[in-house]
Amino acid sequence: MNSKTLERRLEILLVDDNPGDVRLTMEALKDGDVQNRLHTARDGKEAIAFLRREGAYDGAPRPDLVLLDLNMPGVSGLQVLAEIKQDPVLRSIPVVILTGSHAMDDIVKTYDLDANCYVTKPADFEQFILTVKSITDFWSVPVRPPEEES
Amino acid sequence: MVRASKTDQWIATPEAMAGETKQSKELFRTLFHRSPIGTYIIQDGRFKLVNRQLAYILGYEEDELIGRPALGFVLMEDRNAVHDNAVKMLKAGSSVGYEFRIVTKQARIKWVMETVTSVHYHKRRATLGSLIDVTERKQMEERLKQITLEMQRSNTELEQFAYVISHDLHEPLRMVSSYTQLLARRYRDELDADADEFISYAVDGARRMQALLNDLLDYSRVGTGGKPFALVDCRRVVEQAMSNLKIAIEECRASVTYDVLPGVLGDEGQLVRLFQNLIGNAIKFRGADVPCVHISALRWHNVVTFSVKDNGIGIDPQHSRTIFEIFRRLHTREEYPGTGMGLAICRKIVERHGGRISVQSRPGEGSTFFFTINIAGEETA
Repeated sequence: MNSKTLERRLEILLVDDNPGDVRLTMEALKDGDVQNRLHTARDGKEAIAFLRREGAYDGAPRPDLVLLDLNMPGVSGLQVLAEIKQDPVLRSIPVVILTGSHAMDDIVKTYDLDANCYVTKPADFEQFILTVKSITDFWSVPVRPPEEES
Repeated sequence: MVRASKTDQWIATPEAMAGETKQSKELFRTLFHRSPIGTYIIQDGRFKLVNRQLAYILGYEEDELIGRPALGFVLMEDRNAVHDNAVKMLKAGSSVGYEFRIVTKQARIKWVMETVTSVHYHKRRATLGSLIDVTERKQMEERLKQITLEMQRSNTELEQFAYVISHDLHEPLRMVSSYTQLLARRYRDELDADADEFISYAVDGARRMQALLNDLLDYSRVGTGGKPFALVDCRRVVEQAMSNLKIAIEECRASVTYDVLPGVLGDEGQLVRLFQNLIGNAIKFRGADVPCVHISALRWHNVVTFSVKDNGIGIDPQHSRTIFEIFRRLHTREEYPGTGMGLAICRKIVERHGGRISVQSRPGEGSTFFFTINIAGEETA
């Protein structure tokens, strides 16, 4: 048995409007060996409501990791990122930008907004599994960010 | 010193002088009136003397022009400039003409070029002008300018089109390829052999299309996504290209050598890509021997000619042009994988750097790719 399976489940919020991508991420997580619970938001508005535990999301867990798609209708991924990083409570949640875009502009913008990591969705599913696995492995270690202790 | 003999001296008798004067007057008149250049004398702003050609250009009879203000034939918008240019030219005595538009009697607008000189006419200061019709050249220039603009616009549009197409096709294709791969991963060996084969063709097709789209995207980015030119050390460029190809080079124990390479003005990332594609091809299309690649450079005035020479399988000279076209392949995918975009990207990079690319090769005798880079770094669209 791997020591990671003993840790508590990783709460992941996936923000993506494309059901095909959501399902793919779910499948990739299934094939990885990190215990996790995946929550999904279909757009930026839902994502912010989930994070602030507003409305239907009353009692939602605080995610350990946010996987954020950039190209969404309405409230864009960049806006969600800005909201998270400006909020003193949410700021410490690691945000991984997960998108099909290769545009350098987007990458620079997300780092300007303090994204923790930028990953281009690989077209190859095997690679995608590896990508998701390395992301979840990396962020499953610091379970409690220091800010929340206070 | 030789003293001039007496016979060299010309005795000017009044009769002889009168004859001479008459002769030069006639010569002048013939020259003036038969000249294919519009010629005229202006005094106090009005035509005093005009020749047939000027009358022809303006569409009038010669005597209709005499006494009329010369500037009156110039298109209203050009009058100030013509006046200023004429004054400038009379002062400076230069011989470079200026161009403007005139209006003919038939209300046609023509482009003309004029030169003017200060002369004396009937003992008073006057202006001697020469004028030629340049309408046809102007129209050609205008058309050429329009065609060039049109072509630039259509080129940019095409590049943007290729970019958008390849970019936007990525998303749905990613779904197709990811899910066929997921199918293969989960259900291989659970279905029958036929199903496995079908899935593997679907996976392979999606993967290939992905590669084609990526290369098409790269190709379109050479023009639109290029960086401004800066001084680039070609030795560093070649070393970077080799480091990117490290695995391929090590796998077949290829030897890649290079001479002293100069610095050029260019886009470093694109030049790395250029060398990487050429060295990569040299290794990919290797013969039975251990691949040897040698890079050298020769400078001639402002142009550096680089050569990348290999001992590979070579290319039939009949293909030496077509291999630089997009999606052009000479082998089946089973023999050599690839999209057929590598050399097209090379050509586009070289052309952006104001150069040309070519190949010299024979089957079985290796290939040498040559390309030129303009050292001055003038970018061509």
